[in-house]
Amino acid sequence: MKQNNLAVKLVNISKIYQLHHEKPTLVESIFRRGRREKFVALRDINLEIKKGEKIGIIGPNGSGKTTLLKIISGIATPNQGKVQTWGKLVSLIDLSAGFHPELTGIENVYQNAMLLGMNRKETKNKLEEIADFADIGGFFDAPMYTYSDGMKLRLGFSVAIAADPDVLILDEGVAVGDENFQKKSSDKIEEFFKQRKTIIVVSHWLAYMRRNCKRIIWMDEGKILKDGDLGLTKIYEDEFSK
Amino acid sequence: MTEKEIKARYKMAVFGFLWIFLNPLLQMLVLGFIFQFFIPIKTANYFEFLFPGLLAWNFFSYTVTKNTPMYINERALIQKAKFPRETIVLSVVLSNLFHFFIALAMFVLWEALVVNELHWWRWWLLPGIVTWLAVLTSGLSFLFSSLNVKWRDVNFGVQATMPLWFYATPVVYSLDLLPDWLSRWLYLNPMTAIMEMIRWTTLGLSINWTSVGWSLLVTLIIFIVGVYVFKKESPFFDDWV
Repeated sequence: MKQNNLAVKLVNISKIYQLHHEKPTLVESIFRRGRREKFVALRDINLEIKKGEKIGIIGPNGSGKTTLLKIISGIATPNQGKVQTWGKLVSLIDLSAGFHPELTGIENVYQNAMLLGMNRKETKNKLEEIADFADIGGFFDAPMYTYSDGMKLRLGFSVAIAADPDVLILDEGVAVGDENFQKKSSDKIEEFFKQRKTIIVVSHWLAYMRRNCKRIIWMDEGKILKDGDLGLTKIYEDEFSK
Repeated sequence: MTEKEIKARYKMAVFGFLWIFLNPLLQMLVLGFIFQFFIPIKTANYFEFLFPGLLAWNFFSYTVTKNTPMYINERALIQKAKFPRETIVLSVVLSNLFHFFIALAMFVLWEALVVNELHWWRWWLLPGIVTWLAVLTSGLSFLFSSLNVKWRDVNFGVQATMPLWFYATPVVYSLDLLPDWLSRWLYLNPMTAIMEMIRWTTLGLSINWTSVGWSLLVTLIIFIVGVYVFKKESPFFDDWV
């Protein structure tokens, strides 16, 4: 276990998407073989992230940031290369995804927690903590379709946080809910930043990066353009304000 | 374990639990009532002939039809986290299996209490038949749901095929009504063997075990192909939904 201090290791990762302009059908693909457009989202990425590192990923739209996160979190599989991760990994990309409108908040918490790798007992122990943090009062045992969007986000955030991840993946909309909850959630995230947890942030909000990250990865056209310290944010800013 | 968790979503509201029993009961009543009056086939007891087979068919067709577009419908789950993708399909199979089981148990109870002439040693085959049916259903579910991620017209194909498949399976009729050459071919449809075995169990009808062997072979091939396609495609579901 030489690499025990690593959280994420990517070796020669490439990801190619097939472009489809219309809904694909089986009949069509039989008759029109070999007429496929390819889109290379990531080319030959090599990346090592150590435990406890706070990494910010920057880059213009379509540079492969989200694809990279999807690959790290195991949602998408690369066409080439090897991904290794150590420890529990939770992404806060799409918070209210995976909630079922017919189920109550509690049932959704169980289901969502299961997706994040918590078993029933763990969830049960943390149910109160989740309810407290989400602070949605009597709605907790009401069906999800009665929730407002803000409530869904709050519950989603609370579950993800309760999963107590070793590696946390954050997207731009770090702040969710109303003023009060935004404060609470950013406090919680700050807390994560302080602990020895690995955090990967994707954002265009450079000020936030400067405050919280130590290492910056600049992506462009599916490649890692630069990998360095916070100084990169300055260069990045200059580049795009020209 | 995990399957049971997802199954929670199929739990219905206040009367949910009651409906599980009411549905097959109503079906039993309706069928039993109707076939008192017109009996299209010279079978001693058409109700007993039809009902268990129909339950098995309903389980099969509901599950496969529901599972085929499942990965498209659950794209939010797929895009959210990494988890074993087979849980989505298996949870549908299991929850429908549960309903099927309850209905079947009610039928067995009815037979035991009212009809009271069971060949008990044959009835022990029922769990085996149900297992076979579950394997076949899961295999097809894996196959169609995986293909449907890339090619959305698979779903329409399944919807169009199911009614045809119904008539290619001896659910409402019995095999000995057909000419010999045709009934032999029907055994390539594994649902035929399942129907015949159910009738062998419940009614004590005769059965051609060699043909059942062929059906078993077809089932295994379907299952292996289904699992293989699923294994091959499932890492890339996210690219297509």
